[in-house]
Amino acid sequence: MARVDTPSFVADGLTKLFPGGTTALDGLTVAVPRGSVGLVGANGAGKTTLFRLLLGLIGPTNGSVEVCGMAVATDPIGVRRRLGFMPEHDCLPPDQTAADVVATFGELSGLPPRAARQRASDVLDLVGLDEARFRSMAGFSTGMRQRTKLAQALVADPELVLLDEPTAGLDPIGREEMLALVERLGTFGISVVLATHLLDDVQSVCDHVVMIDGGRLVLSGPTEKLLERAGTVRLDVGGRSEDLGRALRHRGLTTEVLEDGTAEVTADGQDIDDVLDIVRDTVADLGLPLHSLSTGYASLDEVFLSQASGR
Amino acid sequence: MSGAVGAVGAVYDRGYRPYDGPRRGRGGTVAALFVASIRRALGIRRSWRQKVFPWVLLAIVTVPAVVNVGIGYVTRDTPAEGFSFITYREYVGVSSALLLFVALTAPDVVCPDRRHRVLSLIFARPLVGHDYVLAKVGAVTTIVFGFSILPQVVLFVGQMLVSDGALDYLRDNAEVLWQVPVAAGLLAVYYATIGVVVASLTSRRIVAGVALLALALVPSVVTGAVIANDADESSPVAVLDLLSLPLHLRDVVFLGHVDPDSPLGGVSAGGLMAAGMYTLVLVAAVAILLLRYREPDA
Repeated sequence: MARVDTPSFVADGLTKLFPGGTTALDGLTVAVPRGSVGLVGANGAGKTTLFRLLLGLIGPTNGSVEVCGMAVATDPIGVRRRLGFMPEHDCLPPDQTAADVVATFGELSGLPPRAARQRASDVLDLVGLDEARFRSMAGFSTGMRQRTKLAQALVADPELVLLDEPTAGLDPIGREEMLALVERLGTFGISVVLATHLLDDVQSVCDHVVMIDGGRLVLSGPTEKLLERAGTVRLDVGGRSEDLGRALRHRGLTTEVLEDGTAEVTADGQDIDDVLDIVRDTVADLGLPLHSLSTGYASLDEVFLSQASGR
Repeated sequence: MSGAVGAVGAVYDRGYRPYDGPRRGRGGTVAALFVASIRRALGIRRSWRQKVFPWVLLAIVTVPAVVNVGIGYVTRDTPAEGFSFITYREYVGVSSALLLFVALTAPDVVCPDRRHRVLSLIFARPLVGHDYVLAKVGAVTTIVFGFSILPQVVLFVGQMLVSDGALDYLRDNAEVLWQVPVAAGLLAVYYATIGVVVASLTSRRIVAGVALLALALVPSVVTGAVIANDADESSPVAVLDLLSLPLHLRDVVFLGHVDPDSPLGGVSAGGLMAAGMYTLVLVAAVAILLLRYREPDA
């Protein structure tokens, strides 16, 4: 459960142009709720730039952004007190122990030294590094380094953590473990924004999705709804699929007659329940026999590809 | 069967405990970075190899004090009593040997943050660029100041103890108690700031160290050659000797004017020129640092 009911962040016409003419974000307007949110987009979509704007490390060219109800432009320090950040790139000093590094970042986040060491111990235990925390990080595997990065993001008990590609470079088991950890954060009252281009990651742990492409918002909504809206309805009307297809196309639904004679209706962004209602009414109006009917949900990959190609 | 029958093992998932204790303000954050930098420079919580250099250097710079006190002890109640081969003013000059220390310490405190991209984690915390600059310059300054002062303390306390009257020695040398900290402070701020600014320009420690030594030594050699051609071996060009510049201020602190035997000795308003150049160098260095960390994650 999220601790407060303000959105995790609200972007209003957020634009960032870099010298040289690169447009990283182009008028992004979105309100992202508390909970686990997936920020998805291809490489170069603007995810990392958005994180840097949320942290107040760079300023927008146009527009504004609020994080946890606070305007980043007027109080970046206050915003950072509420945030944890796990960058995509390697960012840990190799000649120190995980316990020292995480405790130091706890102190830098405002914890008193003793509390920082205690919290460092707790969060390293939480991420599964209890045994290794006093070892130099020079010998850490990629998975251990990713866990340490997550621990430093959590050490000061943030309201919101920004995770940039947390499963990058992990093997399948490490990836599953990292996603399980991310999923648990929600139960601790910590909101998560998970930036990734791996849509399966988002689908498995996030209850809200924000898709950006080329710095623009593609779509934003609850994960389940998005999957439904890219789903399909498949039905067997006793060989009269062509008649059904004509009628459904007339009502604005994309319908395809498959090789086995069945019809497949694509939701095309409509609520799957609304599509089912239209299909049911059309079948009844035409007096068609209904031998079978099934719905199929899309994957986020399909949603992303359909939305990106439709732009 | 033992009494353990029926007992079952338990695996405890301690889960996550929210933190509701006190939090420090921005000053606390800067202090934390300051302390972390000092720990790093002194090799604390690092391998023994990192600890060797600073402590060996401290021992080396303390040797003249120990020797001087030893001579004072051996020659007490003899005609040579009171002999001293190094004065407090000269001993502050030993601090310029600490330039070597700064050339190793400042890059070690600054460069890895950029090289290992730790800056992105640091600046995700509640601090800004000038907080970082303050903490890093402050840490290096504190260490250099400490390494300058400790040998002086050994010298002063030792001399006092081997003298005929400790209180008389204290009274006769009371002015040293402010002159040494002020002069050592001037040197520490100067070397530390220059060291940090050079280190901030590269992510490689070795490059930063060599660049700092070159920045200090090349102008020193060049100005030395120019002044050597001057008839009275005195020239305003001496203020361009970045290595020796703070030593002129040290002389002003101890003597009230620049040392007449120094390359600035025959220059009118030499002390003012040195102070002006000193200020100019520091202002330029701080400006570069603030600019360098204005957009820290870049």
